[in-house]
Amino acid sequence: MNSYTSAPDSLQAKVGNASGHIDQLLNSNPNLWRGCDMAGQGSHGHSTGFSQLDSILPGKGWPQKGLMEVISPQWGMGELQLLLPLMRSVIDSGKWILWISPPHSVYAPALVQAGIDTNQILVVKMDASCKDALWSMEKAFQTENCGLVLAWQNWLPGTVLRRLQLAADTGNTLGVIFKQNECKHSPSPTRLQIKESSLQKDHFSTAEVTVLKARGNFRPLSTNIDLYSHQLA
Amino acid sequence: MEETKTSGQLSLAIPSKDSPEATSTQMTAKKAPEAGASLSSSSLLNSNLVLSCVDTQINQNQAAGVGLAGVGKAVATSKTNGNPSSNSNSNSNSNSKKSRPSLWYAVYFPQLGTLDDLQQKDALTALAAKAISVSSTVSFHKLALVCEIRSSLGYFGGINLLHDKLKGALSTALIAMDQPEHFFYASSPTVSGSLLLARAGQNKLVYQKSNLRSALGTLPADVLNLSKEQNRRLYNMGIRHLKDIWRLPGDGIRKRFGSEFVDQLNKALGKAQEPTLNYLPPPTFSSSYDLPYELENLDRLLPIVDEIIGQLCDFLTRRDLSTSHLMFSLFHEKRSPTCIEISLRQTSRSSTHFLLLVETYFHNLTIPAAVIAISLVVNQFDAFFSHTDALLLDGRPDATSRENNLNQFMEQLKARLGDNYLKGISCVAEHRPEYASACVDVNSHTKKSSIRKSIQNKVATRPRPIWLLEKPEELVEKNSRLYHRKAISIISGPERIETAWWADHDVRRDYYIAQEANGSRLWIYRERSDERRWFLHGYFS
Repeated sequence: MNSYTSAPDSLQAKVGNASGHIDQLLNSNPNLWRGCDMAGQGSHGHSTGFSQLDSILPGKGWPQKGLMEVISPQWGMGELQLLLPLMRSVIDSGKWILWISPPHSVYAPALVQAGIDTNQILVVKMDASCKDALWSMEKAFQTENCGLVLAWQNWLPGTVLRRLQLAADTGNTLGVIFKQNECKHSPSPTRLQIKESSLQKDHFSTAEVTVLKARGNFRPLSTNIDLYSHQLA
Repeated sequence: MEETKTSGQLSLAIPSKDSPEATSTQMTAKKAPEAGASLSSSSLLNSNLVLSCVDTQINQNQAAGVGLAGVGKAVATSKTNGNPSSNSNSNSNSNSKKSRPSLWYAVYFPQLGTLDDLQQKDALTALAAKAISVSSTVSFHKLALVCEIRSSLGYFGGINLLHDKLKGALSTALIAMDQPEHFFYASSPTVSGSLLLARAGQNKLVYQKSNLRSALGTLPADVLNLSKEQNRRLYNMGIRHLKDIWRLPGDGIRKRFGSEFVDQLNKALGKAQEPTLNYLPPPTFSSSYDLPYELENLDRLLPIVDEIIGQLCDFLTRRDLSTSHLMFSLFHEKRSPTCIEISLRQTSRSSTHFLLLVETYFHNLTIPAAVIAISLVVNQFDAFFSHTDALLLDGRPDATSRENNLNQFMEQLKARLGDNYLKGISCVAEHRPEYASACVDVNSHTKKSSIRKSIQNKVATRPRPIWLLEKPEELVEKNSRLYHRKAISIISGPERIETAWWADHDVRRDYYIAQEANGSRLWIYRERSDERRWFLHGYFS
């Protein structure tokens, strides 16, 4: 409803109560998407835990379901820090998190420090075959007990992504695929691509996160986030 | 004479009793021809049926009448036979008993007395499983087993051979349990008599019931397993041996020592029946199917698997059991069979669930040759617990069904990926970073609420990376700057970890949090030992 906020006061006064009702109706249905939703009265996402990121994401947060791609030039650039608040809320809602072929071993003390109960975490080891990994990802989407699926797969064909996207949508689950390379013209049904770039030496803890593509955004938006703020007290 | 008399009376009484019914059916049979000729044949059939019904009723009434009239009589017959039968067990053998009274062989294991109750039970069950090879009736007693051997004496060719066979089996079982292999044994026509003889350590054989009294009489009184107080009282009465008790009047003993004491003695002498708790071998299910032709395609095997699983589920339902461990074998020509073991997180007896798992296993399975036969063996069973649904669900799945879904999901994952690829993680109270996190089997998860607090205490307070490298990577030091992929600058530290000097892998390190020029945050350390090299140990990611 950006267009209305920029309109003259007199016009708004004329529209009066009616517009309020219309807004209410429009916002009540998350499936209804409007091109100008960017400033987002409709906040139907999981909050990311980072206010700057919330403000540039449609729906004021991570999508509730579907597939998301996180692109970082190397593993370990802070991509998991971005998702920690989401993981915490998934675990607290009693659901499980499935990690599929993470590049290094997942270190339980760090997760406990972040307030994540490791009893509800399942790890499919890295040396499982790609086919098995994708199969377990799809199965996890179909189970209601899995709230979040994290997968590390560098290259996936468009049809596979489309299939996973459908499974995630129907299963009402959010899947995150971590990639190292960005393919601009990939036919991926990806909703979000977040890119972290290098920094100046004196800004140690901020990372640049870019939303390359998201349903509801017209152009890439980027912001700087202090990812490790909670760690260095 | 009495029997024929009563049945005659009954047969006379019955027609008068049933006549109203019979006449009424006759009436309907008469009415039927009036209604129409087409019905006549069916009505005739009807009347036939009615007549046969009356016949069976008569038979039933006769039977019932005999049963009722026989209440007084049955006692009389049993008295004349001189064969008291209060026990259902002995009732079934009562006919054979006339010719051959049973012989009980007791084995007494004093060494098991050091174990606790549960271990004793397990040990005796294991020993009974061995003893069942010589006798079909093996019963449990305190620290002892008693087998009925009269029926198997002929088969084994005498008691000596039978004893040798049993001794071999029991000795190996005892050695397997880390127990001394000796035991006491005795045989007599009564269960308690054999037990008393064995407990006294007299490895004796008494064939005749009439000799039992003199054989038992020489036993010391403390074999009776009485309380301290009772033992003391017996001693004060001047009783040292069992024969001393037999000299005393029965009524007086019953008054002073209770009827249990007297019953025990009567049982030992064969004057009273003794019911026994018999060993039942654990159930096993096995089913196999020979294919009429060789099969390469495992999907074609699924209908047969479905049938076998159907048999298994019938088996489980009839015994009210469930299972969590299935073993399939696929047989090939001239090759060793392919074995598929399916373990479930939770016991089940749902055929659809089993079939789904087998399908998932088959999907991943490559067989070395065509399949010619398939078999299923199930040895482990558990009691069946049915699930209950909440009364008011409001369309939401309740906790148990969610739990079920989760279990099914994990079993499917395990079936496809294998145990080694699917892991949970947990914290370990350990200062060395590489041992502070452990991969655990997903089955062994404990309830989260109870463990949560203890975990919080186990974890280090300083920041730890989410990813830990299995093997630390050495960093390059150039012009007093550190490089990994790019230049590294240290943000905070050091955190000194210096421990486990008593173990093989001692740790003397200073840990730092560092940042690479490309933005990733690293956990690096410097060895405090000789070379003071730098290593990368983890990513904060």
